[in-house]
Amino acid sequence: MSSTRLRGLGLLALAFAAGLVVALAAGAQTKPAPHPALSPEGRGRIKVGVLKLTSSAPIFVGVEKGFFKEFGVEPELVYFQAAAPIATALAAGQLDVGATGLTAALYNIVLGGEKLWIVADKGREWPGYPLVAIVVQKEAWENGLRSIKDLKGKRIGVTQLGSTFHYHIGNILEKEGLHLSDVKIVPLQAMPATVEALKGKQVDAILVPQPFPGAAEAQGFGKILAWAGDLYPWQIATVFYSDKLATDRARAVAFMKGYVKASRYYFDAALMQTDGHAAHGANYDEVVAITAKYTGARPEIIKLGFPFQDRNGRLLVTDIERQMSWWVANGFMKKTLPLKAVVDTSFVEEAVRGLDR
Amino acid sequence: MAVERLVVADRTAFLRRPDYRTVRVLALLGVVVLWELVTRTGWVSSLFLPAPSGVLAEGLDMARSGQLLVHLVTSLERLAWGFGVGAVTGVGVGVAVGFFALADAVVQPIIAATFPIPKIALLPLLILWLGIGEASKVAVVALGVFFPMAINTYAGVRQADPLLIRAAVSFGAGRWSVIRKVVLPSALPMIFAGLKLGAGTALLLLVAAEQIAADAGIGFLILQSGNLMETTRLMVGIVVLSLLGVASYWAIGALERAVIRWRHT
Repeated sequence: MSSTRLRGLGLLALAFAAGLVVALAAGAQTKPAPHPALSPEGRGRIKVGVLKLTSSAPIFVGVEKGFFKEFGVEPELVYFQAAAPIATALAAGQLDVGATGLTAALYNIVLGGEKLWIVADKGREWPGYPLVAIVVQKEAWENGLRSIKDLKGKRIGVTQLGSTFHYHIGNILEKEGLHLSDVKIVPLQAMPATVEALKGKQVDAILVPQPFPGAAEAQGFGKILAWAGDLYPWQIATVFYSDKLATDRARAVAFMKGYVKASRYYFDAALMQTDGHAAHGANYDEVVAITAKYTGARPEIIKLGFPFQDRNGRLLVTDIERQMSWWVANGFMKKTLPLKAVVDTSFVEEAVRGLDR
Repeated sequence: MAVERLVVADRTAFLRRPDYRTVRVLALLGVVVLWELVTRTGWVSSLFLPAPSGVLAEGLDMARSGQLLVHLVTSLERLAWGFGVGAVTGVGVGVAVGFFALADAVVQPIIAATFPIPKIALLPLLILWLGIGEASKVAVVALGVFFPMAINTYAGVRQADPLLIRAAVSFGAGRWSVIRKVVLPSALPMIFAGLKLGAGTALLLLVAAEQIAADAGIGFLILQSGNLMETTRLMVGIVVLSLLGVASYWAIGALERAVIRWRHT
């Protein structure tokens, strides 16, 4: 009796395993349904993976103002909940372009033998431009948690291990003479869960991007300890290409021209500063309205701040190298990649040359 | 007198179920070899499906550096506590409810109302009550083990032969003596069935619990590797889970044979 049952189980397991192999293979390898690239109408339709955050504003501006269309490509926005899955979807051939944070997952995908290319700036943590904040529990604040050094021995909530937040807090701690191992990093998977954990006092501090820090202060359970970009500036987000798009040179450059044009429009409207104070351009309200429309957030919240990025979309290439070294040093990557295996600035350079000014 | 020999085909041959021991081994090996080939030939990228050889190498690597042991010990500790607490309370409640009519009246409706709740759904609540430390993880495993244990023990107790109980009583056994010497032994097979069910549930809930705010454990290893897209390490975690499942099934089976000797000899 028991042997027949076992055999039944064995067969079931076999069928399941075979099914799994086939399903995984199909998911990973089958080419996405015939890309409409060749039909005259759909020529240049490009799938772009983004998060519904303020930091995706340049992409939203480019789509809304028709900058991409001007150069013959039409982006199709695909929305995600976290940065790492965008890199995965790109490697699996479900996206052509990713526009989001640089995570350890992205580098590990390239280490794992898949190709994708970091091609342009899509947002930096920069002094004076609020993006991600370290928010501490109100009670902890009142009990004297007032500086980075006070974080020693505390529980810090982030979304995922290997996320931009994880990288950022690690580097901020090091700048203050501490180390990642001096605190307890608590991965909570999603941004709302991170905020809830702070509210429920399960963590002492969290790293979250706008608009969450403002909301935490407004609701009274959190206190902004510092804006992370003031403490440690870095290339937090980039545009990256799938290998398929990168080899289709003409389309890749066309998309980049639209992006650079959008980036300039965004920069001139929202990022100009004089003497450290925001000096909004003529199109500021328009950019706010577009961002509000695509993110679904209220304009007042959008106005709290736009993240900095290079006007021409040029990358901080040296920072990419530094990021990889840090991930390796902290055990989240096995080894660093040569820059030329993961960064390709030729698209943005060609696009900038092809546009006037 | 000539004997006429008539050869008759055994028409029930198709009902026979030979053991096919070699086929079983070959089937498992075949899957592994196929899996290896599929990735070796590059038909499927090793990022999406790491080769078994790579998983083995990574597993050995992690075992040598000691991190696998840390994850395994952490998980086993949580399992032991959760399983122990769940099983003991489950058996206790099951016996009480099965034996005492008053306990039955009080507890049965409560179990009926709480049993269908998927225990994973309680995890966020348990975290609110008990914090993100060990207590909430142990509690969710214990809850998952408690219900199959209580329900199976109850059924086992109710199945105890009334004739045997009466016989024991007529030989002068008291209430506790009857429970200990007649009811519990006759419920044992059902209790062990409950243990096997509970072991599977415990693994499932452990992994779920370790994916929230843990910093060690097999579930954490799987989550972290997934977050970092280190698929080979992820696969190591899954293989370890599979081995844990097989090992617990085997261990409970061995315990059952040792405890219920009268059934197997």
